[in-house]
Amino acid sequence: MVALFVSLKWHLLTGRIRTASPVKRAGTVAGLVLVVLLAAAAAFGLGMLRQFPTYAVTTGALLLASQLVAWMLTPLIAFGVDETLDPHRFALLPLRRGDLLRGLTVSAMIGWLPVANLVVLVGVAVMISPTWGVLPVALICMALQLLMIVGLSRAASTALADLMATRRGRDLGMFVGFGVFLLYFAASLGLGQVSSGSGLGVGVSTAGRILAWTPPGALARIPTLVHDGDLGLAAVLLLVALAGIVGGYLWWASALRRSMESGPSTTESSSLAGDHDFGPAGAGTVRVVATRDRLLVWRDPMRRLPWLMVMVFIVLWPFLVVRGHGSLFAVAFGALMTGTQVGNQFGVDGSGMWLHLVAIGDRTRARGEMLGHLVVVLIPGSVLVIAGVVLHAVIRDDVAWVPAALGVCLAGLIGSAGVAAYMSAAKPYAMPQTRTSMFASAAPQHKSRSLVVALSVLLGGLALALPAVVGAVLTVAVAPAWGWVGLVLGPAVAAALAWNLVQRGSTRYFEQGPEIFAAVRIGDRS
Amino acid sequence: MSEQELKYPGVNADPTIVGTALATRGLHKEFGGVAAVDQLTLDVPTGSFFGLVGPNGAGKTTTLSMVTGLLRPDSGHAYIAGHDVWADPVGAKTRMGVLPDGLRLFERLSGMELLTYLGRFRGMPLDQVTSRATELLKVLDLTDAGDKVVADYSTGMRKKVTLAAALLHSPRVLLLDEPLEAVDPVSARVIRHVLTRYTTGGGTVIFSSHVMALVEELCTHVAVMAHGRLAAVGTLAEVRGAAASLDDAFMHLVGADDRGSGGLEWLRSSSA
Repeated sequence: MVALFVSLKWHLLTGRIRTASPVKRAGTVAGLVLVVLLAAAAAFGLGMLRQFPTYAVTTGALLLASQLVAWMLTPLIAFGVDETLDPHRFALLPLRRGDLLRGLTVSAMIGWLPVANLVVLVGVAVMISPTWGVLPVALICMALQLLMIVGLSRAASTALADLMATRRGRDLGMFVGFGVFLLYFAASLGLGQVSSGSGLGVGVSTAGRILAWTPPGALARIPTLVHDGDLGLAAVLLLVALAGIVGGYLWWASALRRSMESGPSTTESSSLAGDHDFGPAGAGTVRVVATRDRLLVWRDPMRRLPWLMVMVFIVLWPFLVVRGHGSLFAVAFGALMTGTQVGNQFGVDGSGMWLHLVAIGDRTRARGEMLGHLVVVLIPGSVLVIAGVVLHAVIRDDVAWVPAALGVCLAGLIGSAGVAAYMSAAKPYAMPQTRTSMFASAAPQHKSRSLVVALSVLLGGLALALPAVVGAVLTVAVAPAWGWVGLVLGPAVAAALAWNLVQRGSTRYFEQGPEIFAAVRIGDRS
Repeated sequence: MSEQELKYPGVNADPTIVGTALATRGLHKEFGGVAAVDQLTLDVPTGSFFGLVGPNGAGKTTTLSMVTGLLRPDSGHAYIAGHDVWADPVGAKTRMGVLPDGLRLFERLSGMELLTYLGRFRGMPLDQVTSRATELLKVLDLTDAGDKVVADYSTGMRKKVTLAAALLHSPRVLLLDEPLEAVDPVSARVIRHVLTRYTTGGGTVIFSSHVMALVEELCTHVAVMAHGRLAAVGTLAEVRGAAASLDDAFMHLVGADDRGSGGLEWLRSSSA
């Protein structure tokens, strides 16, 4: 039975590679090799840390605990990526629960991510071994860690399987994805502070000490304790780790039984949304569309989370990349990212685009729709960007550079929004319409197309903001007065060019509506 | 009756002539070199309840997609109430209401919001949109669900709210792709009733379906499609001919009389 599951997982993994074109196949294989090499490099780096025993165990405990959290969150973020995660798929097969547990445990260890994890775990084993003599103990601990993360992550995904089959569950998955994104920022800030020995760094070190008493932390400490001859404490920690593993598998078995004996509900309670007039009585297409978009940003996590990310890029990211004067200019990246919210406006609606298509009969209405999508980004986007620039100017005492920075940021926002609007019609791509992950922004068939669009929007937006960029350079190099020139000229030039792009884009939308629809509706099946 | 023997408007008739709700002339679409719809010429009289039937892959959905402006034909023309769908989209689209099969809606709007938004997007006055939407939701038994998001609607509710959206601007022609597919009996009855009232009031309904009994019950006219072409078209009585039922006539027309027979002898020795 285990062999059957291994074969199933292998076929699922290689299925896409087998059906891909030779070029794509070579690219995929090269990508996988690169991932494993990167993991090997990380493992090598971790191995080098064994020369610093003081940090090795704390780092090991943090890493193993983070790995466990990541494995438990992954099914929430990317449920459906691995078909064997859904227990309902096995409900009608004549399988005993024990067979299913064994089969799924082994199949969970097959794949490029488990391989990359395994390589990293070997690196951790080297790191937490004070001498080569205790390396076998460390390797056994890492094997237990692998067993534990598989058991607990499967238990979590099985317990959440019913939830993830619902709209609310998918929404939750999106928010967990954003949580991971925020954690990344917090970790980046935290690690930066560790090196400077500030309060936050001390906090991280304390967290490492607390984690040392959790099952993954215990596994990180055991080799050192064995080396030091403290076998009593090592035995206690082994019990802690084994309790984690056994508890995980008991949870999994129980969740599996519940899940296979009951299907997901098809009568989930519905959300009340109310009614909305979409603007006053005389509102035109632009206002009506913009009002709908604004409403959906509040209601749809797929539309809301990108805005939260944009806020992070406007407020937090500049602190990370510029640790001193000038961080207000780094807000420009957040501004460019804000403009991308206009992007792929037809792909966001997916096959729901037909509702617009059967009603649009002339260019004016097509342009109205496109402008509506643009306005709903430009107005709040401008407010955010202005607030971000002012905040950084005040904190870093860069008030003199505010006009220049505002010029660059607003021009970047308007420019990237204009390019994004045009690219929506010129190169639409399908987005998975039942996605659970905020990171799964394009259907598999359109991944490369979405990458081209993202790059075009960022670089195009930057190009449209060039006059403002020149103004900013002159502000810093020559005189602050140039900032006012950039502030007036930059957004004006960007707006003129963006308007031209919107005109071209809406004409293209009107003329190529059915072709755009054919491209974006693929997202229904992704 | 073959396509060439039509008694009403006819293949060479002027597609813009009064009394023709939908006309296609040489409508053609290929996918990967295979014709999904093959030079289709069809006239649908105004006020008729017109059933478009055929097996899977016959070209029904492709035809409806082309005449509603959702799919560009490789060649040929489609006219709604005399207006070329592709050359005069304003004229055609204001006169048609569409209910496609299997496409998403704006899922995070409530039923009432969806109707209000679509009415306003079409440029209808707010008070008119509100009164019509309220009335449609009531007639379609969606009043209680009107303030819930469409994402949480059942299949029947989705079909009904889409039908409401199709009717909102009071079009002359309704084009419905499998309007009763996977719909519960109560919702199906409500939809049938609304459609019958619509045709009684002078509107034209063109709908595709697999369910022959339904077509026989509702339709005044039928077109049978197979392999992208018309196998037969005419009034219900003309297409049924001497067959006992429309189902028998359909099986004969699409050459499926003996499908499903032969083989499977092993089923008699089932071990269960």
